[in-house]
Amino acid sequence: MDRREFIEQVAAWSAGLCAATPIFEVGSILAAEEKPKAKPILAVAKGKEYGALVERAMKPLGSMAAFVGKGARVVVKPNIGWDRTPEQAANTHPDVVKAVVQQCLDAGAKQVLVFDRTCNDARRSYSRSGIQAAVESIGDSRAQCVFQDQKKFVPVKIQNGKSINEFSFYKDAMGPACDCYINVPIAKHHVLAKLTLGLKNIMGVIGGNRGEIHKDIHQRIADLNLVVRPQLTIIDATRILLRNGPTGGKLEDVKILHTLIASADMVAADAYATTLFGMKPEELGATVAAAKFGLGEIDLSKVKIVEV
Amino acid sequence: MRRPLWIPWRWWRRAAQLLLLLVFLWLFRRTEYTGADQLAGGENIFFRLDPLAGAAAMLAARQFIALFWPALALVALTLILGRFFCGWVCPLGTLLDYFHRLLRPLAKRTNRLLESRISNSRRLGGADIPVCPGGRHFEGRQECLPHRGEKCRLTAAGRAAKYFLLIAVLTAAAFAFPLVGLVDPFSLLVRGLTFWIDPMLFRGVDACFGWAGEGWAADVLQPFVKKRLLPFRPMVFHLAGLSAAILAVVFALELAARRFWCRYVCPLGAGLGLLARWSLVKRLPAKVCKSCGDCVAACRMGALDPAAGFSPEACNLCMECVDFCPKGIARFTIEIGRKVVSPQCHPERSEGSGANSAEILRSAQDDRRQARPVRLSRRTVLTGIAAGAAMPGIAWAARLGQQRPVPPDLLRPPGAADEPTFLGLCIRCGECMKVCPTNVLQPAIFQSGVEGLFSPRLIPRLIFEQSYCEYACTLCGQVCPTGAIPRLDEEAKHAQPTGKAYFDHNLCLPWAEKTACIRCEEMCPAPDKAIKILNTRKIIGKDGQEVEIQQPYVDRDLCVGCGICESNCTIEGTAGIRVFRVDAADPQTEFLLKPK
Repeated sequence: MDRREFIEQVAAWSAGLCAATPIFEVGSILAAEEKPKAKPILAVAKGKEYGALVERAMKPLGSMAAFVGKGARVVVKPNIGWDRTPEQAANTHPDVVKAVVQQCLDAGAKQVLVFDRTCNDARRSYSRSGIQAAVESIGDSRAQCVFQDQKKFVPVKIQNGKSINEFSFYKDAMGPACDCYINVPIAKHHVLAKLTLGLKNIMGVIGGNRGEIHKDIHQRIADLNLVVRPQLTIIDATRILLRNGPTGGKLEDVKILHTLIASADMVAADAYATTLFGMKPEELGATVAAAKFGLGEIDLSKVKIVEV
Repeated sequence: MRRPLWIPWRWWRRAAQLLLLLVFLWLFRRTEYTGADQLAGGENIFFRLDPLAGAAAMLAARQFIALFWPALALVALTLILGRFFCGWVCPLGTLLDYFHRLLRPLAKRTNRLLESRISNSRRLGGADIPVCPGGRHFEGRQECLPHRGEKCRLTAAGRAAKYFLLIAVLTAAAFAFPLVGLVDPFSLLVRGLTFWIDPMLFRGVDACFGWAGEGWAADVLQPFVKKRLLPFRPMVFHLAGLSAAILAVVFALELAARRFWCRYVCPLGAGLGLLARWSLVKRLPAKVCKSCGDCVAACRMGALDPAAGFSPEACNLCMECVDFCPKGIARFTIEIGRKVVSPQCHPERSEGSGANSAEILRSAQDDRRQARPVRLSRRTVLTGIAAGAAMPGIAWAARLGQQRPVPPDLLRPPGAADEPTFLGLCIRCGECMKVCPTNVLQPAIFQSGVEGLFSPRLIPRLIFEQSYCEYACTLCGQVCPTGAIPRLDEEAKHAQPTGKAYFDHNLCLPWAEKTACIRCEEMCPAPDKAIKILNTRKIIGKDGQEVEIQQPYVDRDLCVGCGICESNCTIEGTAGIRVFRVDAADPQTEFLLKPK
């Protein structure tokens, strides 16, 4: 190999590698083609047995099988952001996560992945939240609580985004790798966003510098939600964090409600969860921005609320 | 002592070495967060076995450290068995032995060269080329390379080096100048493994799996390898290159002589050797048979010398001289209260070269040297003490006699005592940095002088979003072998902040740029939030809309100095909030501009 040949090959390979870097295009079709749908259904279930609560909450929506097909690859995305115990109400309750995963398995899912981009050390958060142990206790190799792999964050263009046009997202939570994305956030206080609910739970599947989102948090959260669209949102309000969120740490800030909210419409679910804190849905900028995108129904009078 | 079960002694020793090396590596791998707040315990046992580290830390910090009770047990065992630790236990010694095996092909080639030189020399009727002290090769096991390296003579100067080091290190420690971490064999081994080998291993294996792509390797092999054999994530460390270089030099010395490090440098080996002087286990015969030098050639430690005989201070009880004694007379024995009768050497001792003048001279020297089994001269002791005592003075002179102020951003691990005590107690073993789940603990370079090299410090923003002190984690105090980082429960840890956070109003987005952010407040783990909102302003944003800006401040009574705010600060480069030492003189005025 002479010098000329070497340089040519380097150039060719580099060009090839650059060309091969994937950028997911999310066309304007997604948001634009939202058509007025039938009245979204929102299930509110109350009870102290969280495992059974999930099943009850799913009934008005037509059971888990309506969302998870046989052989589906499912992502269950709880909030495992913090190195906190379940009673401190910073993470989704492990019993809720376990029940959701179990129902997906019962519905015939081929694979159920549970993950989050944690804020504290991932090992500590997975462990102390009890979620890793809960998923492992099912004892089914199809269900796995996995740590995120840095290599799987890929840049995605957000063409309809009003505040951001591109951000990196977790590959396994999107497109071909995921047939059904189930959003399982916990409802809690957040000083900037006011509350963190279903829409903000997207923070767990994005890469890059998440602080950037904070600069215009309401609009940017809505923008990000144009990319990953959960088929189902189950908001864990079994206990909610009223102050000092999203980390919490004091039991005095926790209010126990024994409530689950389930809906295919994430905006409606967020809107309803907002009322649990004594606030109006319109007070959350992210919910308003998402509703403007047509991502869901913010007006609860236009939602069929089924209490079970 | 008979060989047990008719298995040669060296096989017992090799088995012990392999087993203990595996234990060492297993403990090394276990020095990591594995899901429980409390480690199983014993991860630091090799350091706590180390009487040199213990003595130096106790001298430097001027306190008794009860954590070092296993080292006392080792001292007691050494007084019975001699320097067995170096031959049977020490993981560095075992690795050096394995490395020597790797070098064997090289040794063979050199030996062939040597042999041809000898035969040429003989053919030409030249003088004897000194090859081995025994005057011949170790038959069938061509391992003469090390002896060639030493020119077949155990030079007193070489032997004295490690004693010099030992005395200098201990004297310097007594003058509160901690150096032991630089030369302690476990410290430099664990640092090399943690800072260099482990990250390299992770990245290498990860890259291989990356190439292998999807399939069996990714599904089955990768989870197993990642979970069982690799650390959780590749860590990043300052001074990785220096740690690697130190370790590389220790191994490269193996080219000069077998177990060169152990023979000539290791101060721990020197200390154990001094104790071995009184050990109860004796080798018989105490002299080298005149007609045969097989044991001399077999000895990896150079403990057998045709002139000086056997020296217990060098012997690490590898037992090869017993296994390879052609006449089967060499043995180790415990004799208490009885005079040791040396077995007779070969009756045919006058065979061969015969008594020439050189040999007469040699045997005359024999007795004199025998009286000093430890080749430790008064000069070595005195120069060692002088060097150790001079070191603090040299360091003092190097900074022109000025008191070095502790840099305000030199954050020490939770619960660390004042700077001199902490540096005295710390043996630079790297355990805390290995176990730290967030990689925030980094070796200091010269931030607290040359005496602070390799001591742990927190660098919150080293890795964006990842390196900070985890609020509920107490692992560093659990693995510290000396108590330099005390064992604290979570509550006690929060009561001893690593520092306090300060906003830089020239950088912080809500203050300087009138941009919403408040990421630090979001991350703050204090249950009552040490970062609070000072005021909420409504301003007109770029697009003409009204934007709410929350401007934060730090409630320093609540701040524990974990640095998660600094690590996660949204802006690029230097963070808008930084953590400074609790004792730093008013960082608000000294480093940052005050808010208007």
